[in-house]
Amino acid sequence: MTEDHTVTDDESSGFSTLDRQDEHQLLPELVAHLREHRTKLRQEWATRIHDAHLLDAMTPQEMSTETRSVYDNYVEVLETGSVEALQDYARNLSERIIPRGVETHEVVGIVLLLRDVLARSLFEKYQTDFRLLNRVLDAYEPAANRIANTVAVSFVDERERVIRQQQDAIRELSTPVLPVRERLLILPIIGVLDSERARQLTEQLLTGIRTHRAKVVVIDITGAPDVDETVANHLVQTVDASRLMGASVIITGLSPEIAQTLVTIGVDLSKMNTIGDLQGGLEEAERLLGYKVTRQDGPVGE
Amino acid sequence: MVRRIVRSRVADHPAADDLVQETLLRVLGAMGRVEPGMLEPYAIVTARHVIASMWKDQDRHRRNQHRMADLRLPDAPDADLLLGEDRAAVAQALQHLSDRERDTLLAHELHGQDTRSLADELGSTAGAVAAQLNRTRARLRVEYLLAVERTEPFSDRCRPVLIALSSGDRRRQRDVDAGRHLLECELCARLSQPLLGRGQQHDDEVRIPIRADADVVLARQGVRELAARAGFSPTDLTIIATAVSEISRNIVRFATAGEIVVELLEEPRPGVRIVARDTGPGIPDVEQALTDGFSTYRGLGLGLPGARRLMDEFAVVSEVDRGTTVTMTKWRQEGSP
Amino acid sequence: MNTGPALVSILRQGSYLIASIHTALDDSQLMRLQKDLVDQIGRHRSRGVIIDVAALDVLDSFGSRTLRDIAEMARLRGALTVIVGIQPDVAFAMVSLGMGTGSVHAALDLEEGLEYLDRQVRARQPGSSVVVPR
Ligand SMILES: [Zn+2]
Repeated sequence: MTEDHTVTDDESSGFSTLDRQDEHQLLPELVAHLREHRTKLRQEWATRIHDAHLLDAMTPQEMSTETRSVYDNYVEVLETGSVEALQDYARNLSERIIPRGVETHEVVGIVLLLRDVLARSLFEKYQTDFRLLNRVLDAYEPAANRIANTVAVSFVDERERVIRQQQDAIRELSTPVLPVRERLLILPIIGVLDSERARQLTEQLLTGIRTHRAKVVVIDITGAPDVDETVANHLVQTVDASRLMGASVIITGLSPEIAQTLVTIGVDLSKMNTIGDLQGGLEEAERLLGYKVTRQDGPVGE
Repeated sequence: MVRRIVRSRVADHPAADDLVQETLLRVLGAMGRVEPGMLEPYAIVTARHVIASMWKDQDRHRRNQHRMADLRLPDAPDADLLLGEDRAAVAQALQHLSDRERDTLLAHELHGQDTRSLADELGSTAGAVAAQLNRTRARLRVEYLLAVERTEPFSDRCRPVLIALSSGDRRRQRDVDAGRHLLECELCARLSQPLLGRGQQHDDEVRIPIRADADVVLARQGVRELAARAGFSPTDLTIIATAVSEISRNIVRFATAGEIVVELLEEPRPGVRIVARDTGPGIPDVEQALTDGFSTYRGLGLGLPGARRLMDEFAVVSEVDRGTTVTMTKWRQEGSP
Repeated sequence: MNTGPALVSILRQGSYLIASIHTALDDSQLMRLQKDLVDQIGRHRSRGVIIDVAALDVLDSFGSRTLRDIAEMARLRGALTVIVGIQPDVAFAMVSLGMGTGSVHAALDLEEGLEYLDRQVRARQPGSSVVVPR
C-alpha cells in the first residue's frame, strides 16, 4: 500500500510538469497502438496474471471476459482521460468478485501487471528513439497511475461497503429478541452463555422492550446447556431490569438443575414467573396480555 | 528604563508558560541591548512580568490579581515597591538552589552553553544534565512562589509535592501522593494553581472538587463526558456515572472536602480510572464497609459495595482521621468500537 | 419557592399527580421532590402518582431509595405510585448496582403509567378495603 501512495504522489507532481502538448499528441498515438495489438497484449497480460496466481478463484471463461473488459476500459481511460466510466466498471467488477474472495492485492496486482505489459510494449515500439520513448512514457505513466489508483480505491471502497453490510446482517441475525406478537417478545437463549454474552443479551432485550413497547417477555432457556452461578445472577438481573422498564418476564425451559442453581444463589423462585415449556410460557404471556381486556369486565382479584 | 521594558513586554507577550524558561530566554535575547550592570535587574523584572501573566492566565487568586493590575499600570505609586518585592523574591529563590544547580542553569540559559559541553565539564551525560536542568527550573518556580507569598512550607511534605507539580512529572506526583496533599494543605492548594496551569492541562484527565450535593451531579457529568471519548457504550457510561455518584456521595456525607479525578487509560486496553479522595474521618473497617447493608446514612448501604459491583477494579485505602482514597477502573468491552 | 427553571414539574390530572423530572437531580433536590410530592398528595387527596424519570442520568442507591420512600408515603396516604421512563441503560445500571424493583410498579412511559393507574384504581374502588386516611 505504501508503494501506491508514492505512486499517487508521483502522479500529481508528474502531471504538473508534464508537457501538455505531449499528452495531446502522443496519447492518441499510444491508444491506437494499444488497440491495434489488443489481442496479443491482452493474451500476454492474462498469462502473466495466471503465472502470478492472481484471480485463481475465477474460471478461464470469466478471466477471458473480465480481462477483455478491463483492457478496453483501460485504453478508453487513456484516450478520454475520464476515470468516471472506469470507476463504475471497477465498482461493478468489485461487487462481482468480492463474494468470490478476491483480495485487494490481487486487484491491484492485475492492474499493475497490465500497466507493465503495456509499458513494455511501448518500450519495444519506441526503443530506437530514446527521446521519443521518454516523452511517450511521460505521457503514459501518469495516466496509467491514475487508472491503477482509481481501480484500487474503488475496490477498497466496495469491499468496505460489503463488509459493513455483512456485519449489519450478522448483527441482525444475532439479535436475539423476537417480537412474536404485539407487545410480546421472546428471548431464546441458545448455546453457552458467558458473562459478556449474557450482558449483551440483557442490553439487547432492554432496548427491544423499549422499541417494541413490550409488556411481556418470554425468556426460553431450553437451549442453554449449563447455567452457572454467574449466568444465573445475570438472569435474575435481566428479570429485574425488564420490570424496571414495565415488562413482565416469564422464564421457560428451566431444568431442575438450573432451578437448583437459582435457589443456591438465593433467588426466590416463587417471585419469578417460571413455566415448564415454551408453549406454556406463550400461553401464559397471552393471558397476561389479555388480562387488561378481562379486567374491564369487572374487578379481578390479585 | 526598566519600567518601559516591562510595559512594552507586557503588550508584546501577553501569555507565558514557564517562568524561568521565558525569563532567561528573554534576557538572553535582550543581552546585547541591556547594559552589563542592568542585566540582573532586567532579568528580575522580566521574571516578575512572566509570573504576573501566569497569574493572570489563571485568574483565580484575588490577592494576586491586584498584583497583576499593578503591573499593567506601571505608573501606580507602589510599582517601585512591588518591583523591589519581586527582586527580593527572585534572589531568595535563587538562594535555595545549590551553587552547582544555579551555575548550571545560568550557564545554560543565560550564556547559551549546550547540555553536551555542560555534561563534559560536569563529568555527566547530556541527558542527565537536561533532566537536572528541568528539576532545577521546577524547584526555582516553587521557591519563587514561596518567596512571593513570604511563607515557609507548612510541612516537609509541601516542597516535594510542589516540585512534583511544577515539573509536571505525573509519576512523581503519584509517588508523593500530591492529590491528597493538595486536599489537606491550604498553602499548596493555593500555590499549585499557577503551577498546574503551566500549559499542561491534560485533556485526558478531569478533576472535580466535591464539597456539596450539586458536585455529585457535576462529577457524574464530568466522568460521562470523558469516558464517552474513550468509546464506552451508553450502558457502560451510565454504569460508570452511577459508580461515581455513589462514591462522590460518600465524600459529601462523610468528609468535608474531597475530589474526583478521572483519567483515560490506553494500556493494556482503553479504559477509565477514577480516583476519589477525601479528607474525612476515614473508614475504621474497610472490610465491613464493603459489605452489603452496612451503611450509616440514608441509602441502602450500597455506596462502596455497589460501586465495586459496577466497576472492573476497585480498591479502598483508608486511614482513620486522615481520609479515604477509592481507586476504581472500568475497561472498555472488547466488542465496542 | 422554586427559583430558576423548574427542575421538576408536578401537574394535577384528575385524581392523579404527574411529576416530571426535567434534568439530573442531586440528593437535596430529590429530597425536595419527595417533600413537595407527598405534600401535594395529601392536599389534593390524589389516588395515583406518576413519576417520570426519563430525564434522570442515573438512578443510584439514593435515587432509588427516594422513589421507594415516595411510593411508601403515598401508599400511606391512599395513593398508588408508578415510576415511568426508566431508560434501558439506567435499568441495567440499577440492577448491576444491586437495586431490586422492590414493590414499586414501573411502566414504560406516561401512557402506560396512566393505563396502569386507571386499571388499579378502578379495580380498588368498588368495595375496596383500602381506607384513604385523611
Ligand atoms: Zn503543603
